[in-house]
Amino acid sequence: MSLTATSFDWVRDLVRKESAIVLQPGKEYLVEARLLPIARQMGLTDVTKFVESVRVRPDADSTRKIVEALTTNETSWFRDGDPFTALTSTVLPSLLAARGANERLQIWSAASSSGQEPYTIAMLLDDALPNAASRVSITATDLSREMVQRTRAGRFSQLEVNRGLPAPMLVRHFTRAGNEWEVSANLRRMVNASECNLSAPLPRMGPFDVVYLRNVLIYFDLPTKQSILRRVRDLMRPDGWLFLGAAETTLGVDDSWERVVIGRSSAYRPLKGA
Amino acid sequence: MRALVIDDSRAMRRIVTGILTGFGYEVRDAEHGRAALDVLDEGWLPDLATIDWNMPVMDGLQFVSVVRANPAWRAMTMMMVTSESEHTQIVRALAAGAHEYVIKPFTADAIRDKLALLGLLPQEVAL
Amino acid sequence: MTTTDTGERRRASDTRPVITDLIDEATVESIAAEAWVALVGEDEVLVPLPGDLPADILSSWVDVVGPWTGSVVLTTGRATAEELSRALLREHAPEVLDDEDVADAFGEIANVVGGNVKAALPGPSALSLPQVGNAPLVRNQADVCRLDVLWRGEPVAISVQGALPPLPGSTPTRKNEVS
Repeated sequence: MSLTATSFDWVRDLVRKESAIVLQPGKEYLVEARLLPIARQMGLTDVTKFVESVRVRPDADSTRKIVEALTTNETSWFRDGDPFTALTSTVLPSLLAARGANERLQIWSAASSSGQEPYTIAMLLDDALPNAASRVSITATDLSREMVQRTRAGRFSQLEVNRGLPAPMLVRHFTRAGNEWEVSANLRRMVNASECNLSAPLPRMGPFDVVYLRNVLIYFDLPTKQSILRRVRDLMRPDGWLFLGAAETTLGVDDSWERVVIGRSSAYRPLKGA
Repeated sequence: MRALVIDDSRAMRRIVTGILTGFGYEVRDAEHGRAALDVLDEGWLPDLATIDWNMPVMDGLQFVSVVRANPAWRAMTMMMVTSESEHTQIVRALAAGAHEYVIKPFTADAIRDKLALLGLLPQEVAL
Repeated sequence: MTTTDTGERRRASDTRPVITDLIDEATVESIAAEAWVALVGEDEVLVPLPGDLPADILSSWVDVVGPWTGSVVLTTGRATAEELSRALLREHAPEVLDDEDVADAFGEIANVVGGNVKAALPGPSALSLPQVGNAPLVRNQADVCRLDVLWRGEPVAISVQGALPPLPGSTPTRKNEVS
């Protein structure tokens, strides 16, 4: 059975709300092609059955999968570049001034997917610091075991390196391996990947100086958002920095954060005494 | 904004032109580097040139070098779009003066991401 | 001046690589799969199954010249090449595709697959402009990496084949022995 108009409209609204991307009428085939693998994973034979089950009883995991399937083929490098610009322009100089020369900076990429975000951070720091590998440790976590393994391998397809990775950085930090590109051993040493479910109690990690928690909160209800932010805050240094997705904020969710505008993006810092 | 699409394959010219037109670009095309220089010599200066590597008459790398040698054309952003995909080839193109590099095969999303990096993308883009 | 032939020189020249030492079918398959998904359409899959090519076939290819020299050849039925060209152009396709449109689009697919095959081989190598017509002959059966796939149910053969005849004294049946 092909996708019904009701199902298509619901997916269209969801994607517009979560990503600001508009699916034009006539893109039913795209929705079907992208969602069929997810429907099959859930043991369903057609996309309408899958969409209807999520529409009637939405859950964060399924809605996130739907939005991701329709918004990206591959995760982009430097996705919404501003939070990365902020890291090198403001956050890093401030942390270097506040920490001792032998203190290792700890950075957490909390929904690291196939690894583009933690390696983007690693490349920026490697270009900015003379001895990045000994000064910085990057923790990459994701819900999916497959994604964690991919991050550890540090290998990306041709189509993936085409997605928003500046060519000078590609040639500086990657080598070709068959039909793929492999990130340098130096950067792989900076990144430690592990599985982690943000909506459950977190393992002992950190304390982190910087946390990237982007495009995760949007998929959860208010109480879950609050408990995630609380748990993340417990793993951060008191003068740490939190980056959320462009469509996300702590405002109206958890008032123990201070919003700091850096260029075109915002960071959130734990409020003292909150 | 204006773009000059340079590729000896007319299919590829149509595809890249279609993508850029969708982003609001005014597009002209050329089937090799020499024909592209003729367009520039007319005084039609684009913000962006997308450049294939292997073409008859004048290849993409030669085109990039000629453009780089002319200060009047310095404002033009040059993006290679080619199936040449060795590490060394990308280094050569950047050294010659190309600003960005897209490896064929590419998707419209890949072009969009690169234009965003280069600050050459209009704000609102529909999927 | 005399030199003593220790045999080393001859052995060194005998190590001219054949393609199966340099690339495997899985790599060619992943290159082709990426080209199809990106160029032909996001839900266009290649099924790695052989099929019978029709009588009226068309090939497109690029030559690779370097430490390994040969061609990357796509071969399919003429009607399939046309369908492939239309799929590549999508909404940018003209009403009527003439032979030149098909040659151009089918050739461009060979260029994209060939460029990526070249990059997976030891370099430096040069890539020719694409050609379309009757495929170059296979000169050495041991110097071929061939992948047969079905696209929309129609057979497409992708062959990475050396341009040079077998070296004298090499065993021409080498490939058959291992299979």
